[in-house]
Amino acid sequence: MGVAVRQSFPSSLSVIAVAVAGLICLPVLLVTYLALSTDRSVWGRLWITRIPELLANTGSLALSVAAGTFLLGVSLAWLVVRYDFPGRRTWEWALALPLAMPTYVLAYVYSYLLGSGGPFPLFPPHSFAGVTLVMTLDTFPFVYLLTRAALLNFNVSFEEVARVCGTSRVRVWLRVTLPLLRPAIVAGLSLVILYVVSDFGAVSLLRYQTFTYAVYQQVTGRYDHAAASILSLLLVLSALIFLLAERWFRQRSRFYQTTGRYRASQRKRCRLLGTILVTGYLALVLGVSFGAPAWLLLRWSVGAVAEGALDSRFLGFVWNSVLLSGLAATAAVVIGTPLAYLATRWPSRLNQLCFQAAYVGYVLPGPVGALALLLLFSHLAPFWYGTALVLIIAYIVHFLPAGLQTMEPALQQVTPNLEEASRSLGFGTLRTLWRVTLPLVRGGFVAAWVLMFLQCMKELPATLLLRPVGFDTLAVRVWLEASEEYYQLAAPSALLIVVMTLPALLLLVSKDWRAA
Amino acid sequence: MNQFHFHRILSSSSGRLLAVLLALWTLTAAVEAGAADRLVVYSGRAERLIKPVLDAFQAKTGIQVDLLSSGATELVNRLQAEGDRTQADLLITNDAGSLERARELGLLLPLDLKEVERGVPAPFRAVDNSWIGLSGRFWILVYNRRQVKPGEITSILELGDPNWKGKVAIPNAGSEYLQAGVSVIKAVYGDERTERFLQGLKANAGTSVFGKSSQIVEAVAKGEAAVGLVNHYYVYRHLAAHPDAPIALLMLDQQDGGMGAIMNVAGVGVAKHSRHRAAAKRLVEFLASQDGQKLFADLNKEYPLHPDVAADPALPKRDSFRAAAVPLAKLGELREPAMNLIERAGLR
Repeated sequence: MGVAVRQSFPSSLSVIAVAVAGLICLPVLLVTYLALSTDRSVWGRLWITRIPELLANTGSLALSVAAGTFLLGVSLAWLVVRYDFPGRRTWEWALALPLAMPTYVLAYVYSYLLGSGGPFPLFPPHSFAGVTLVMTLDTFPFVYLLTRAALLNFNVSFEEVARVCGTSRVRVWLRVTLPLLRPAIVAGLSLVILYVVSDFGAVSLLRYQTFTYAVYQQVTGRYDHAAASILSLLLVLSALIFLLAERWFRQRSRFYQTTGRYRASQRKRCRLLGTILVTGYLALVLGVSFGAPAWLLLRWSVGAVAEGALDSRFLGFVWNSVLLSGLAATAAVVIGTPLAYLATRWPSRLNQLCFQAAYVGYVLPGPVGALALLLLFSHLAPFWYGTALVLIIAYIVHFLPAGLQTMEPALQQVTPNLEEASRSLGFGTLRTLWRVTLPLVRGGFVAAWVLMFLQCMKELPATLLLRPVGFDTLAVRVWLEASEEYYQLAAPSALLIVVMTLPALLLLVSKDWRAA
Repeated sequence: MNQFHFHRILSSSSGRLLAVLLALWTLTAAVEAGAADRLVVYSGRAERLIKPVLDAFQAKTGIQVDLLSSGATELVNRLQAEGDRTQADLLITNDAGSLERARELGLLLPLDLKEVERGVPAPFRAVDNSWIGLSGRFWILVYNRRQVKPGEITSILELGDPNWKGKVAIPNAGSEYLQAGVSVIKAVYGDERTERFLQGLKANAGTSVFGKSSQIVEAVAKGEAAVGLVNHYYVYRHLAAHPDAPIALLMLDQQDGGMGAIMNVAGVGVAKHSRHRAAAKRLVEFLASQDGQKLFADLNKEYPLHPDVAADPALPKRDSFRAAAVPLAKLGELREPAMNLIERAGLR
């Protein structure tokens, strides 16, 4: 092959990649160091007073939300793929809408709905049941979308064989269908569990003690960060163990469907009664997870606007959000490019390692990342402490993984021949990247930017802990007003976040739309 | 050609990015340089209870005041981390403990203001005047008049006894009021007695643990709890909105030899590294003046500390009850141990 140009090792990029990976890992190492160098007595105090409870709370919440999202996600996916009824296609994409609701928005709506003064005081919102409900309603689309995609590619021959052998419908479902869907369901559930473990918005507004919330309380309520860093370390470790276990499990349970005799299943047409039942169920789920909250936000917003909520201050919050998120997303794309490029083009051990290191943000829930940066900047670079820069770095560390997941496939699709041609014509590595590669991957990179921008817009815990003076964002305002129970005042900001998130969400959903 | 075009767009957009970055830089730098007529206040007091007073100051002097509202502890941590680069000129909190803590960490500037010393009695100021109390608040018992008679309870410690099981509403462990209250109880009764009280309190409260004092008062008004522990002004706030609510407040530990009511103050200190000391001192003088204290206290029905400034007539007369004899300045050093006691008792 093109030996002459193959390995002019792009050292300039490598230096950048190693530096970035190092910077991203530094906060974690610092928290680890602080936790391990903390006095034994603090460890002892936490083991006795906090850790068992936090483990039990976090674990039980993750399990109950996983169970809830499993039931909702799989049943919904099954209905929209295997049955045909009027309006099916609309329901199909509408069921992803709850993903546009940040957890803290849903939590604050439900603390009103279920609260003692609210319309449905069935059970207290500030309870295990309340948090489970909110988190389930917010995350079931993960399971729904992945299961639906798997069902659309499902080879129905397996089921038919089982039926021909005289197995009952229920047993076919349990013995054939469910095992074949398992990888998709497990992937969805692990997303849900990671989401629950790292969520701050819902648990803080509903005051449910998980590790993430406890870390935040220790950071804001104590004069030293020893206990906070210990809890952070445990949280990061448990997230890591979970991720590794999930990966191992996925590799063990690989199987392949032969495509030679692939047949998609027939949709069953619903009769009138069936249509009413199915539509009723879908409407109920979507109503409680998106419809009713959105309508409430709208109603409150109208009231708030009538009272003059849209003043220059509000516009200032919008501007702060857009500015911070825009800067962070842009910086993340710029930083992510060399990492993704090297990992796809020169997958040496070092480059792979740098690329993997960037994924550290995945196991760093918001308060932990914020704590790490607080420590980092106050110890090593106090000059920057309290400026917007710290917050932007927190965003980058946190959301770069999501961006890289979109950027890497885009780069994978560009054939190296073009770059080799460019270099053989005398362009250097950087210039080739700039003039040849980047224009070709524009679409994927723009998508990555949008994705990260929106994640930053919604981000709450790190913003709360790191915001500079007078730099409140929309998310912070929602949280502040909601925790003071000024539901109406919080609504315009919340509604704006939801509305901004919608187009991108629909874009993402329409990606696997073609499969339908 | 297409690529070339894109290249141009990119470079122009990176130019724009650079401009935005520069703008951001100047924005942060502008605060650095600090216009002379601008103060930054780190406030642990709710925005709506402090903003009107600061607006009055602004109207009077033309000095613009920016607020950063957050938790008191968080703000002290922030001041410490920012060191001599801090933008903060003043720290205002609702709790002498956190002010004293900031003083011990060397974050506040000792003040020499004769006028202020006359307006705020010595027990309500730091030894070196690096923080100045502005208004008094009492941690009291709110009770439901239909379920409890005033004679049924005299001391706060009784709330840990089994006969109050399922009847008490309390704030959660993060509450500054609870932490300050436990600090005072610990100072008077010692660790062991305090811990027993806290364990009893936890058992009696069950799930009636609230993040907001207003929710405690509401629970008592509805009869979901018979009694609750809150700062006194929350009772009046609730009564202003619901005049018929069957609630009243009780000053505890007033018996002979009793501890006295648990008191705390909201107060202000000037940041040691403030770049606008003159303007910051003017704000302290304004807040501690008779008019300032009246405005500050009445916004929230608290007790002005100035002997000649009358409290809101709705409040119990200040000379009708005793406050606990624990010096406010001790609340700083007691805070960590009190938090450990609270944590160990399992309160959340």
